[in-house]
Amino acid sequence: MIPWNTLFPEIANFDFITSGILLAIAVTCLAVSLYLLLPKSGRDSKTAQRLGWLLGLIALGLFIVTGQRLGNIGEEAVFLMVSLVAVVSAAATITCRSPVYAAIWFALCLAGVSGVLLVLGAQFLGVATIVVYAGAILVMFLFVLMLAQPAGLTTSDRITNEPMLSTVAGAVLLGLLSLSIGRLSAEEPLCCRPPSKAAALGGTAVNQRPNESIDLLASDQVARLGGELFGHHLIAVEAVGILLLVALIGSIAILSNGLEGSQTEASSLQEESQT
Amino acid sequence: MTFAIVFGTALALLQNGLMVGAILLSLGLIGILSRRNLIVMFLSAELMLQGISVSLVAWSRYHGDFGGHVLVVFVLSVAACEAAIALVFVLQAFTRTGRLDSTAWQTLREATIDRSIDHEIPSLNASLPNFPRLTPAGRSPTPDDQAATQRDHI
Repeated sequence: MIPWNTLFPEIANFDFITSGILLAIAVTCLAVSLYLLLPKSGRDSKTAQRLGWLLGLIALGLFIVTGQRLGNIGEEAVFLMVSLVAVVSAAATITCRSPVYAAIWFALCLAGVSGVLLVLGAQFLGVATIVVYAGAILVMFLFVLMLAQPAGLTTSDRITNEPMLSTVAGAVLLGLLSLSIGRLSAEEPLCCRPPSKAAALGGTAVNQRPNESIDLLASDQVARLGGELFGHHLIAVEAVGILLLVALIGSIAILSNGLEGSQTEASSLQEESQT
Repeated sequence: MTFAIVFGTALALLQNGLMVGAILLSLGLIGILSRRNLIVMFLSAELMLQGISVSLVAWSRYHGDFGGHVLVVFVLSVAACEAAIALVFVLQAFTRTGRLDSTAWQTLREATIDRSIDHEIPSLNASLPNFPRLTPAGRSPTPDDQAATQRDHI
């Protein structure tokens, strides 16, 4: 058996443990003090309230103490938590019987995914995911659900197509992907190394990355992303704008065409019956 | 080759991000293959797109450039277009069949594939959730005769 502190060298760090324990104690103190202070039926004594205030003050002090050490916990613990939220709620999305509950679980999954994006340094994308997906797309889906299935569960929601085969397909995909992810190493393989300009022009082979590394966590990151979008990728942005417009016109056209089609079908049926 | 949750290095952060993306992608694949509700199928497709976005951003963090971020912006806008078109199709399908069931369209299957028949459908009671019931708060109000009479004069 492998000792745990070789697997998790960050956790074995002493500062990490002390700040984590202090934070846990602070949160517990706050919860207990709030419980003691809240109005309850039954015993509601003065001493309990005094104890509650005291515990609350202790919790505040502990928060102040841990606030200076919280940097030690780092992004890894946050990453673990938000990715756990994302994965668990994604599993709940596809297994939930009720489609409305599935949509709400999907909203929670989006929150987790945007947390992961924030940890990975994509500030604009984390916010845009919430705004675009949870704010617009998911609400449209919920509108359609409420419109179409006001009665709730139908028989088709309680049964699935080929559950065995699809889970096997998903598991095989996940296994292959995680195999290849585990094989990643810091050295770039020779086959995939991008040729530098000097090597391509026949000069000496210089194995350098073509782009110098940018600090993604800088404070002006969103502005630089905008500069990148509208600088190097301007034509692509215009194309995406046209795509959005075409999707809008297309959806309206499909919907109105369908209505006209059903009306013409009905009118032609009437004409046939008259003749 | 073995995958373990190791923290601290840039490569470990890349691997963890890619792993989350892979899990989301395969969960979305399972959902879109097996579920029969059209809306849940589209939610699964969006789940797959989320997995791809997480992987792209992880690569972008590892290489230290904005390429992955730019691609995710395009993924977002294409997903918005896809949702608009998909909802129109779902609405059309619903107005024609009255159901959000993809099996309602199984006449479009190939000639060699058998018709899918639901043999045993689990009972409704097993899958219905227990909704919480509100406890009565306070006492029931008594009707105020004076207020009722005053209201008639307004």
